[in-house]
Amino acid sequence: MSLLDYFRSTKKNTASTAKERLQIIVAHERNRRNSPDYLPQLERDILAVIRKYVDIADDQVSVSLEKSSDELSVLELNVTFPDDKK
Amino acid sequence: MSDHSFELKGSLFPLSVLYCQDLSAAAVKTQLQQKLAQAPAFFYRAPVVINVESVTQVPDFEAIAQVFKELELVLVGVCGASAEMKKLAQAAGLASLQLSKSKTPAKESKEKEVKTEAAVAAPVMETKVVEQNIRSGQQIYAKGADLVIRGTVGAGAEVIADGNIHIYGTLRGKAIAGAAGDNQKRVFCHKLEAELISIAGSYWLSDSLQGEYWGKSACIGLQDDKLVLADLL
Amino acid sequence: MAKIIVVTSGKGGVGKTTSSAAIGTGIAMRGFKTVIIDFDIGLRNLDLIMGCERRVVYDFVNVINGEANLKQALIKDKRIETLFILPASQTRDKDALSKEGVERILNELAEEFDYIICDSPAGIESGAMMALYFADEAVVVTNPEVSSVRDSDRILGMLSSKSRRAEQGLPGIKEHLLLTRYNPERVVKGEMLSVEDVGEILAIKLLGVIPESQAVLNASNSGQPVILDQDSDAGQAYLDTVARLLGEDVPFRFLNVEKKGLLKRIFGG
Repeated sequence: MSLLDYFRSTKKNTASTAKERLQIIVAHERNRRNSPDYLPQLERDILAVIRKYVDIADDQVSVSLEKSSDELSVLELNVTFPDDKK
Repeated sequence: MSDHSFELKGSLFPLSVLYCQDLSAAAVKTQLQQKLAQAPAFFYRAPVVINVESVTQVPDFEAIAQVFKELELVLVGVCGASAEMKKLAQAAGLASLQLSKSKTPAKESKEKEVKTEAAVAAPVMETKVVEQNIRSGQQIYAKGADLVIRGTVGAGAEVIADGNIHIYGTLRGKAIAGAAGDNQKRVFCHKLEAELISIAGSYWLSDSLQGEYWGKSACIGLQDDKLVLADLL
Repeated sequence: MAKIIVVTSGKGGVGKTTSSAAIGTGIAMRGFKTVIIDFDIGLRNLDLIMGCERRVVYDFVNVINGEANLKQALIKDKRIETLFILPASQTRDKDALSKEGVERILNELAEEFDYIICDSPAGIESGAMMALYFADEAVVVTNPEVSSVRDSDRILGMLSSKSRRAEQGLPGIKEHLLLTRYNPERVVKGEMLSVEDVGEILAIKLLGVIPESQAVLNASNSGQPVILDQDSDAGQAYLDTVARLLGEDVPFRFLNVEKKGLLKRIFGG
């Protein structure tokens, strides 16, 4: 490794940060484009209902739709409950 | 299979329009002779259209056509004709042209004084003063008046006046003076970089305005239908 | 009562969102409670430049339609306490922004905030016209390049005739010129319009000159407004710009060709 390379590597590699951010956000948005319109609201409604019983953060509920075959679609709902510290 | 040797295409040609209250052959002849004396070369074999919009009596088109022939002018047709007038004109072998909604609004205003000579003895004009820069895409029209712009006229902007136009800044857009047909009107500007200048229907593009006055202050007028540039001061 | 500043240009790609993000952040850094609104309809950009793309739940149109309230839609910036972002909708309906709806939200924001920055989309269609309609001041972002200058002139015409202030006969919007992607070397060579050239054609007061800088791409890559990169020329130029916007008298930098030292040549400035 030359002297110059040493100095250069300490500079932030912003292109890879950009790529990571893009991969996440574009995948997320593509997913939304293909899913029915009610999904975001469904997710928020479910969050609101669960919040009546347990205090959870926005990103602990996720709803997604998968087409497993031509006739069958599966609605997947993930809820992560916080550790019960009571 | 199309025959390229014979095509009918739509085109636009500027034509002189004659406004005359009295369309009796004798009156037309006298008026025209006077006008021709001022600039005989320009009017030689010029195509002319007669505006019959405000004419009350039906003119004798055949007689008028004869006058035109004598004076070596080409009478193309009439404009602003009513249905009845149209039929008569066409019977005399004249075309009936559509009065288009042009940027020179004189043709629209019906209460406008009917001209017997090209130089109008106009009523007192109230000057329109605009105290800001005129931006690209904007248009200002001073109807029946002079126009003063205390600012710059940007490229893509248009300032129009029936009277003179004075620009106390740089002219980069279009200035149209004498919009109602008065060829004595002029354009005055502090810095000439215009896209187009027009006086009484004759116009010049920036190419024709290049030379010693480009980028400097100038006064632009019309003389014998030729563009004349002069010092502002 | 908040001051509403629109960042607009007419031409696309000249640096409106970069500037909105930088200026909004700069003003918030001074302690003023600031919100930046993305007025684009359909294409969201401000959230990416600000680095908060993953926290967008509700957007501008959701609030106008009553599907959410402002509190739910506003995203609080993680770096600066007084800075908030209202993201754009991703609808394709160009009539989604109504005058009444936008006015209602701006009024609500004006009660809480000191500065409202409206990031305008490019063009002169409804998003752009809505962004400038309620403005008190305008930052017209221009590149020293022919189509940008002409489009800026057009937008200046709109600002003086199509804004609420113009329609109601109130004192006009205060117009500022922000010249971006300036390259002094090319100006000296006679290849690029100078500050004076652009100023002469547009005839509005110069607010700032942002030099062409690699820092801008790095900033958007990392989701950090470039004004936070205080070592960079662009970052410093934006800091100067914000100071002038707030009324300070700051001399203009980055107008002349810099003599680069050896180290700068190796590592880039």
